[in-house]
Amino acid sequence: MKHILVIDDAATVRLYHRGILENAGYSVDEAINGIEALEKALVKPYDLFIVDVNMPKLDGYGFLKEFRRQDDALQSPAIMVTTEASGSDKQLGYMSGANLYITKPIKPNELVNYARLLLGETL
Amino acid sequence: MAFIKKTATPIHCTEHDERHTERDFADLVAELGAENETARRWAVRDLTPLPDASQPLVARLAYEESASVRAAILNALAQIGDHAAIAGLIHCLRSEDAGLRNEAIEVLKAIPQHVEPVIHTLLNDSDSDVRIFAVNILESLRHKDVEKWLIEVIEKDPHINVCATAVDLLSEVGTERALPALKQLKIRFEDDPYICFTTDLALKRIEDGSQ
Amino acid sequence: MTAITISNEDFLKFKEFFYRKTGILFDDSKRYFVDKRLIERIQATDSENFRSYFTMVRFEASGNEFQNLVNTMTVNETYFFREEYQFKCLVESLMDEIVSHKKDKSPIRIWSVPSSSGEEPYSIAIYLLEYWSGINDWDVEIMSSDIDTQIIEQAKRGHYSARSVQHLPKPFLAKYFRHENDGYQICDDLRSAVEFSRVNIMETSEVRAYRNMDIIFCRNLLIYFDDASRRQVAEIFYDAMKVGGFVCLGHSESMSRISSLFRVRKFPEAIVYQKPLEHL
Repeated sequence: MKHILVIDDAATVRLYHRGILENAGYSVDEAINGIEALEKALVKPYDLFIVDVNMPKLDGYGFLKEFRRQDDALQSPAIMVTTEASGSDKQLGYMSGANLYITKPIKPNELVNYARLLLGETL
Repeated sequence: MAFIKKTATPIHCTEHDERHTERDFADLVAELGAENETARRWAVRDLTPLPDASQPLVARLAYEESASVRAAILNALAQIGDHAAIAGLIHCLRSEDAGLRNEAIEVLKAIPQHVEPVIHTLLNDSDSDVRIFAVNILESLRHKDVEKWLIEVIEKDPHINVCATAVDLLSEVGTERALPALKQLKIRFEDDPYICFTTDLALKRIEDGSQ
Repeated sequence: MTAITISNEDFLKFKEFFYRKTGILFDDSKRYFVDKRLIERIQATDSENFRSYFTMVRFEASGNEFQNLVNTMTVNETYFFREEYQFKCLVESLMDEIVSHKKDKSPIRIWSVPSSSGEEPYSIAIYLLEYWSGINDWDVEIMSSDIDTQIIEQAKRGHYSARSVQHLPKPFLAKYFRHENDGYQICDDLRSAVEFSRVNIMETSEVRAYRNMDIIFCRNLLIYFDDASRRQVAEIFYDAMKVGGFVCLGHSESMSRISSLFRVRKFPEAIVYQKPLEHL
């Protein structure tokens, strides 16, 4: 079973993503901000990250940058999820190591399809 | 044994102390631009109690690249809490820098008494992200009108993500008063699965919570 | 009076709040435990029901009830070698990394706050003596502070109950302690290895004298603090530390609820937080 880490400071968003992804057959862990995400991701390998941009303590870009820097072996893909869709933000996302950048609110099938795509699975 | 013990406590450390005593305002402002990060942090600390410190601190924030000096400035502004300091913190909400935006939100959350007079303006800002941040700040605001403001947001705000953020908070602090607005919101965004999910959750939490 | 109950939705609401504030996540198997303790606190504060209690905890400016809540939800007991994996991390990873960055032969400084009755700083001393070979080449200063002068006197005296030493390997107990009628007396060598002092870590002026720390142990303290105080202590630690120094927190604590000043570092034994070597 593939493991996904959902990183978002809003409890309902984590619950929503968890429900969708568990329904699609993945195992899901949660983190409330970038620091907790690092604490988890440096200890347990994840196949995919779903990362919110705006979070306290360490934002999504900060998490990805630091994770990519510390963990050379495990370059698991990441989907950046945000309320913003401005060009500069998107560029920042890719520069920090995001593989995809999607704007909230997210539809369940959209999230699952992108997850499958980045995990290299067929529909 | 190789344990050693200083005979006197506390340990007075004079070596490498970048903090110079007896500096006046102008010296400290100049020191905000020092090359050494520790020196800048001490300049921030020593400026904080002086009158009119907010303006130079806000000015430095725009250029400051060290995360630790930025954190010191933001904490200093929260501590000062005058008009210029709050304006400086609020200005950060519009920054391109996600780190700075989020740090400013955290600091503003910690000083609800200063934020209260401007929260209404922030909740009506033209930028939807600033309105989301304003809702984030409400999370820790100790004010009797928090629920009322959240209800206003979900009744009137046209932006789906602003409403979603407000609903997230209502699922924690909401009471029966929020029920009609939540039901209305679900109708307004009936095509959106996330809004349906989050309003259902809030409705359930409020209705099934202990009476 | 009707019996106070915690509904399923109340539990979920509380669970999310407590997780956000502390990083501790109760799963459904803890439901009974959590409910029981919540009801205790609701009654102790004369709250009418869960809702009024929850509102009080969320918005109480002093944070006193939050501290009580953390206290009932966590086990706070101090004994020798508590959370031993961290001492393992100290001797297997942290000390060697500190030494590798050192440019001179000045002593390595370790600060343990709060000292409580001394079990933690003395455990650090024992671990270094027993498991770190570098102790023959380097000087180490162990400092330990607490806000409570009475407990500091107790720590200096070094007299412990059987319960307090129960996790110590027998040979260490024989080597470093003397069995006295009602407990165990720690030896003078260890007593003189730790410098105890009274400090309020929230007071910048009191902490200013503590500088150039290589490692700070601050376990099971910040979890009781509110957000602003946690941030303030993180700032104070940052200033008290050398670049590249480490902070060790308690096992149920996470820097994700405290500050963004430190880098998350993973070692085989533990997650530890580091004052960055270079600007990020």
